[in-house]
Amino acid sequence: MNAPTPALVARPERLRLVGQRRQTLAVMHQRLMFGMLLYGGIVALIVLRLMYLAAFGDHAGRKGLVTALVPARGDIVDRNGEPLARTIDAWTIAVQPGKIIGDKLDLARKMAALMPEHDEAGWLQILRSNKPFIYIRRRASPGLVEQINALGDPGLALSREPDRLYPQTDLAAHVLGFTNIDGHGAAGMERAFDETLTNPHTRGKPLVLSINSAVQQALEHELLDAKTTFSALGAAGVVIDIHTGEVMALASLPQLNPNVAGNADMEARFNRSTQGVWELGSTFKPFTVAMALETGKVRSMGQIYPCPLALKAYGRTITDTHPFGRDCSVAEIMEESSNIGTAQIAAQVGATDQERYLKAMGFLDPMPFELKEKGRPLYPREWTPLDVMTVGFGHSIAVSPLHLATGYATLFNGGVFHAPTLLKVGPGHPVAPGRRVFSEETSYKMRALLRLVVMKGTGKQADAPGYRVGGKTGTAEKIVNGRYSKNGLNVTSFAGVFPMDEPRYAMVVMLDEPKATAQTFGFRTAGWNSAPTFGKTVARIAPMLGVRPDMKRDANMAEVLPFVHEKK
Amino acid sequence: MSLKSFKSVGWVAGIAATALGCYMVNLKVASERASLEEVENRIVLAQRDIRLLQTEIGTRGRLAQLEQWNVKVLALSAPKANQFLEGSFQLATLAAPHKVVDPQAPVVLASAPAPAPHAAPVVDDDGPVANVAPDTPAPTTAIAPAPKPTSPADMMHVASLRREVTSPPAKVAPQKTVEKPVLRKTAAATPVKTAASKMAESSARPTAKAASAAKPKSAPPKLNFAKSHAKEAATDR
Repeated sequence: MNAPTPALVARPERLRLVGQRRQTLAVMHQRLMFGMLLYGGIVALIVLRLMYLAAFGDHAGRKGLVTALVPARGDIVDRNGEPLARTIDAWTIAVQPGKIIGDKLDLARKMAALMPEHDEAGWLQILRSNKPFIYIRRRASPGLVEQINALGDPGLALSREPDRLYPQTDLAAHVLGFTNIDGHGAAGMERAFDETLTNPHTRGKPLVLSINSAVQQALEHELLDAKTTFSALGAAGVVIDIHTGEVMALASLPQLNPNVAGNADMEARFNRSTQGVWELGSTFKPFTVAMALETGKVRSMGQIYPCPLALKAYGRTITDTHPFGRDCSVAEIMEESSNIGTAQIAAQVGATDQERYLKAMGFLDPMPFELKEKGRPLYPREWTPLDVMTVGFGHSIAVSPLHLATGYATLFNGGVFHAPTLLKVGPGHPVAPGRRVFSEETSYKMRALLRLVVMKGTGKQADAPGYRVGGKTGTAEKIVNGRYSKNGLNVTSFAGVFPMDEPRYAMVVMLDEPKATAQTFGFRTAGWNSAPTFGKTVARIAPMLGVRPDMKRDANMAEVLPFVHEKK
Repeated sequence: MSLKSFKSVGWVAGIAATALGCYMVNLKVASERASLEEVENRIVLAQRDIRLLQTEIGTRGRLAQLEQWNVKVLALSAPKANQFLEGSFQLATLAAPHKVVDPQAPVVLASAPAPAPHAAPVVDDDGPVANVAPDTPAPTTAIAPAPKPTSPADMMHVASLRREVTSPPAKVAPQKTVEKPVLRKTAAATPVKTAASKMAESSARPTAKAASAAKPKSAPPKLNFAKSHAKEAATDR
């Protein structure tokens, strides 16, 4: 009994061990099962996904979805679809100094031979710089890219980047504007329509301008010609369709090349047609006469005003360049551009009506149109009786050439103001709603008056035979540092309409500080520089605009001719 | 029994075959779609290239460049007002053949029988028409009388400027000698035989007979008189 008894009963610790093992096994089974399910699930998921892809998915070799050609930035075209601004992929050359494996000195020598903007030492300095990435050429020519590629160094990076190109270079540069280095509009229509041009939904369609590039080219060329001939500081020109307000051409000189806008100075970037405001002088006189006709102050072109050699009014003496020294009719006042006569007509119209009409023509506000570069007109704050007289002949009020063109359009399209527009009028862009300023009768009577100026008066040189040009010269002394220039610096302009028997287009030509030449016999008034420029331009652009020359047609001159004193 | 045991295998095989068939169709469609996309892609790329080339051509042929060439080389200018035409009719008048005045060509005048005979001899600026007989019918317009026409050919009068022109030898007619300056003063009195001979002689020696008789005040015959016919010129005035 002393012998140890076999353990018939498992020791409790052992029993505990068995129970533990079983438990562990169960847990293991559970985990294994879970792992298997997980694995199976993943496999099933992959298989299902594969099957789904096989059934509905795309294939592996599929390229990016390029079903339509959508440029990175929308095109800008003229009214006939001629591209004026496009985005193309241009080659860009950059250098990554850290990745250069060849001999830097040798590379610098070769690069200096290819790109002479830096010499060998300059290129070596660039190649040895610590910057990771340096642009060395944007918009590189394919020939240069090929030669750079032939150098074969991985440190020279060649890539294609979208780049804004203006195929017509200078043409309509101030209308188009330009883009900055990020590809966003910095001026002109590029700035005004930046959202439309960059939005992926709208950039596929080109932005259609109202500009006619052939007309624009003719205007720019003639203005440049005049600017050179008369050594002017600058020039501006606007051609506008008087019935729709579409701007057919809008030019400003000095020229600007939007492809390299960064190189241009501020003078060139300044848009003289819309941003600059100028006292445009006698070109305002037709408005004064129209206001007087409208208010019943002038009843006939034969109404007589005393026109002495000088008129003293409110402490200022008003003089004429072609003094009459006798009584003269309204027709003669316009024909010889008499300040004295116009001042009296303006005084009759009065401050209230004058301001009301100028406001209605939009002359007291920035012109409501697309460009953001627009000037705010300057006008007298008080509108004293003297101001009424001077505003009557275009002094003491400064507006942009576009204002003036719109004013002439308003006066000659039957008297309805339409805001000018740089977008082509068509199905998507109707004519801006008009507001009546002058009556149709006034509008009709003014035709003969302005035709008279060109036939017999100060604007003879503006005539383009057959095109029935009517218009008015304007010479104003330039304001230099707040005072009228005493050196005879002036701004000359010619505003006119053609064809006068049925007006269709209004045009304004302005020259900034033209000088006298031998051909002008020492004169530098508008009749000698702006008027011939106007005439030459009309002779070129009128056929393009569909105006048929006709020597047998003219405005109804019987309205004014009886009231003009014939010189013996 | 055996058939029953193979039933499940058949099912599996059937389903597998169907699935495979479907998959093949799918693959075929996908490949077709891919090739279509490839074509579309190439079209877009071609369009891009076209656009690029158009831009390049447009840039090289920009208006400012054309204007510069025009100023320097071509010197073309805008058409003048009188270069525009009213319509096709005016265009046709421009295309009409240009009339060349041949000084040697005979001037043919039509004449009609005189309405009534005049008794008195007709006197005009040229002085008395000497050779006119009193009973010869003379037109009121002082045109030299003509004999009664017997045939249409007689109604033809031939006049010509008298000029020192060398006549072509082929046209020297045999009747050349018949025509003498004596008869020239009264052109109508010249015996007219046939139109053919008339034409021949007039072209052979162009004379001012009819012209001077018919239109005494007309200047050209006088101006073109040669020296040898100065006497006639005097009577003409």
